[in-house]
Amino acid sequence: MLASILASGLAVGAIYALIGIAYNTMFSASRVMSFTAGQLGMLGGVFGSMFVLRLGLPMVIGLLLTLACCAVIGVITEVVAVRPVLKSLDQHLYVLSTLALALMIQHAVAIEWSTEPQPFPRIFGSSSGGILDEKFWLPIVACGATIIGLEMLSRHTLVGRAFLAIAEDNFAAQALGLPERNLRMASYALAGAIGALAGFSGGALLLAFVANGPLLNFYGFVPVALGGLGNNRGAIVGGLALGIFQQTANFLVGGIFSSVAVFVLFIIVLLAAPQGMFGAPTTRRV
Amino acid sequence: MERSTSMATGAHIGVSPSPSARWALGAPLIVVFALALLVPLVGNDYWVLIATRAAIYWVLVAGLNLMIGFAGQLAIGYVALLTLGAYTTSVLVAGNVMPAINPFLALATAGCVGALSGVIVGLPALRLRTFYFAISTLGFATIVTQIALAWQSVTGGGIGLPGPEFPSPLDTHAGFYFFCLGIAAFCTWMTVNIAHSRFGRALIAVRDADVAAEATGISKPHLLVTVFLFAGALAGIAGGLFASLQTYITPDAFTFDLSVLFFIAVLIGGRGSILGPLLGTVILTLLPEFAAPLAAWSTFLYAFLLLAVVLAAPGGIAALLDFKSRKPLRSNRAIVPQPAFLKEVLSEGEAKGPIVLRNIVLSFGGVRAVDGVDLDIRPGQVHGLIGPNGSGKTTTLNVISGYYRPETGTMSVAGLALPAGAAERRAARGIARTFQTPRIIGEASVLQNVMIGGTIDGRALFVESLLALPRHRRDEAKLHAAAISALRIVGLVGLADVRADRLQHSELRFMEIARALMLRPTMLLLDEPAAGLAADEIVRLGALIKEISRNGTGVLLVEHHADLIFDICDHVTVLNLGRVLATGTPAEVRVHKEVVSAYLGG
Amino acid sequence: MPTSGGELLLDVNDLKTGYGKIVVLQGVDLDVRASEIVALLGPNGAGKTTLLRAISGLLPWSGGGVRFLNRDLRGVGPRETARAGLAHVIEGHRIFTQQTVTDNLLLAAYDLPRGERSARIEEALSYFPEISAKRNDSGSALSGGQQQMLAVAQGLVRRPKLLMLDEPSAGLSPVLVDRVLAAVSRLREAGTAVLLVEQLIDKALAVADRVYALAQGKIVLEAPTSEPNLPTRLERAYFGHHADRLHG
Repeated sequence: MLASILASGLAVGAIYALIGIAYNTMFSASRVMSFTAGQLGMLGGVFGSMFVLRLGLPMVIGLLLTLACCAVIGVITEVVAVRPVLKSLDQHLYVLSTLALALMIQHAVAIEWSTEPQPFPRIFGSSSGGILDEKFWLPIVACGATIIGLEMLSRHTLVGRAFLAIAEDNFAAQALGLPERNLRMASYALAGAIGALAGFSGGALLLAFVANGPLLNFYGFVPVALGGLGNNRGAIVGGLALGIFQQTANFLVGGIFSSVAVFVLFIIVLLAAPQGMFGAPTTRRV
Repeated sequence: MERSTSMATGAHIGVSPSPSARWALGAPLIVVFALALLVPLVGNDYWVLIATRAAIYWVLVAGLNLMIGFAGQLAIGYVALLTLGAYTTSVLVAGNVMPAINPFLALATAGCVGALSGVIVGLPALRLRTFYFAISTLGFATIVTQIALAWQSVTGGGIGLPGPEFPSPLDTHAGFYFFCLGIAAFCTWMTVNIAHSRFGRALIAVRDADVAAEATGISKPHLLVTVFLFAGALAGIAGGLFASLQTYITPDAFTFDLSVLFFIAVLIGGRGSILGPLLGTVILTLLPEFAAPLAAWSTFLYAFLLLAVVLAAPGGIAALLDFKSRKPLRSNRAIVPQPAFLKEVLSEGEAKGPIVLRNIVLSFGGVRAVDGVDLDIRPGQVHGLIGPNGSGKTTTLNVISGYYRPETGTMSVAGLALPAGAAERRAARGIARTFQTPRIIGEASVLQNVMIGGTIDGRALFVESLLALPRHRRDEAKLHAAAISALRIVGLVGLADVRADRLQHSELRFMEIARALMLRPTMLLLDEPAAGLAADEIVRLGALIKEISRNGTGVLLVEHHADLIFDICDHVTVLNLGRVLATGTPAEVRVHKEVVSAYLGG
Repeated sequence: MPTSGGELLLDVNDLKTGYGKIVVLQGVDLDVRASEIVALLGPNGAGKTTLLRAISGLLPWSGGGVRFLNRDLRGVGPRETARAGLAHVIEGHRIFTQQTVTDNLLLAAYDLPRGERSARIEEALSYFPEISAKRNDSGSALSGGQQQMLAVAQGLVRRPKLLMLDEPSAGLSPVLVDRVLAAVSRLREAGTAVLLVEQLIDKALAVADRVYALAQGKIVLEAPTSEPNLPTRLERAYFGHHADRLHG
């Protein structure tokens, strides 16, 4: 039983962590928390199911197409919902524009795809059952690969270093001559791909279900709240911890109350530490 | 009942609000409700039901409007309160838990439950940033639905339970409709009253200029909790009415889509308006009915409308209807202060006494921004505070006005200690200030911006403002008159009705001073008031400041403009790298060798 | 007005700009020629930083014009001005503290062909041996003065024709200030022109060929540094009509 809780907890936790990283990636590039992160995860599952099951494409092609489509959606988010409001002094506008876009995505999918959960293709043959089934280790591997990939990006490529630069000091990066707008679009594309990876690797667990959008929006945000905005390591720790906590609560008190438990935990942590447990202190107001 | 106060599209108050002017400004709302009265006469039962639904939604949105549109708190999961109200009323009338009670009583109870829940849902707003708070309200919505599903013994779980039935004549469609319409009209009247009270203005101040709001003594937590209570109560009552309309409720009647409808109605309508969100609610409720094939896409459409509004027309319907703000202003306006009127405003004051700072130390990171500063600001004097960049002038001013806590040192006014931090208590001590960059509410008129300065002078309680009771009206008249005087003093009275974001930068600086004068301050702290002003405006500013000090107020003037400082200051302190370099009369400081070299470097 | 006679690099003509409604520059005229060091002095709030930002494209203008190497800079952003040979080192030694010294310089070389990057970085580091020794250290491990030197080095990576420095001495000890200004002098010998915004008048006058004074959004003084009585004239320009009451 413990092994099962651990396996499923780490698996969903890894999905949540990846969505958290998608949030962080968009935030680092633009100082905007975008409501589209959860929808990207949902689209990862939906596109995967559509390309592989409905259109019969090979798995690898299906994965690449899914990543590409979500990257495009990421860029659309930047152009339509983020860039226009960055210039405005009004803080709340980006919450509304990204929320509007997320709702549009969700409802378009609900109408065109389905409101019911659809099956997601198996990647490696038939189900072996048990805790070593692919539905448990796929998300964990995806999460690990993403983290390693991001590390390599920021350590070994100039583009990765440029991402770090615009995250740390956007104005100085501009003054230095870095192509700050293109880098922001690229960051959003990257966030799209990461979200898609979360949904694709978690497809067996979460299925291709339009309701995953708001679900992942919330559960993917908790790791960010816990770990601190922009902190990917914190998001991983927060995500995995959340996954295990949720599965444990599921086991102990049942599905309905486990979401209550998660929410109460979320509120308590936020009220106690509004910047997250590893977050940075807020800036001066006056 | 008289619809006593003014326009609902933008929040404008006329310079002289005559009763006829007030009626004219309230006309659009009256027209909407008059048209609503006709619905049962011209339409069939189906349309009456739709109209009832719109009225019920508006009861909730009227309160939510104060939260989102006025206070700026993005509560996007508000359907939770509708659910609570609906179930409370239904359970109490059905008699599952306790003996069945009268539906009207149940409705009132739902209001109370809603009020309390409104506070619980809203409390995180006091600690969390916009996005975090929005997500937390989503979580609440999910939880309430889950509880409704799970608590089968009380709520009937997934099967649900019947909604409350009201006695005759409310058991007919038309009868119930008029009941809901009446409640909706009453709620509209109440929210209009609040919009034109010091509470409504304070809410907008907290939304758009919360730093300045603190300086005028507005306590954000108190204000927000009051609004959460009120909005929650309305939502609870709307829930009870909704349950009756549905005749049978289950958890999936309360979808996230409803939440979306509610907050999009507010935002499409336009912030700071009552008419706008009302029209928004009606439009969004009716939209799926008029375009039947669109019904499935209705939420998509709402979201698209929201995106369009945010990108193209952030002011919403209210801004589109705001014809007054499109009239061009004269371009070569001059600001002509009339300091003679100061006696009207400043004559009464608190016990006057100096502000005394001793040994103030404050560091940021590892750097000592203020390093052991002593300062004495005497009433009736203009005290200049100058120094190169990074010398700690503005930081010192911020310490005095309570935005920063010093690590060591003491502060006192008229001998009584001044607590560190606690910026919102400074106004009550008679300390007013302006800011380096004007912190104003662009969407409100100049007059309203200035009236905000006198918020703590109001005596009426929230409830009194809600119901437009006499003390509220006296408050409004008093604040109105005081604001006009203040504007006369600074020379902006001709622009009183203009939206503040249409003013030039220099006019905004003088407006901030008018706002500060509303406190009848014994101490006025000015943070670089001359920045961005033309030469002749600086001269008039100087004359105005001098007159203010002659009326007994002490003035601390933080400035770069050497001319202004040496012209009007009685006393000057020079800071450099956080320490006092020199202090004395302008003439003494001017020839002080270290001062000259600190400015010129080397 | 005697000039150093070199090619005209930067020509600022009646430039007006500000932030939102606040007008800061009210019509500024200024020019910089090849191989000269021009100092821009003035009291706080005068608009010196605003002027540099308008020139390099970080801030849009509302009126007037700027030409660099005879090219109109209207609507041109910082990336293009950097490519054209105009480097802007902003105030506050804002380097990227979460990355190493080498990384900081690599970022400055973002638009250069890959093969040239190392060579240019070495060139830039050669002006500042102290940080050359720390090339693998994180930016946060450098002192304020070293960070300032790194910021100037970033500006040099592109071999600019004109380098604009915004208060490089801010927050630095006198020794480090001299170090930085010595590097600035060397730049002139190498053919780079420098527009130096400074608070420290004596040091700026010592290293510059010409000086402008900016007060309340306008140029109020322009002179070669060889002229006598400059400090007095500057005071007068700073303090307006009160300067006449100086010294008794």
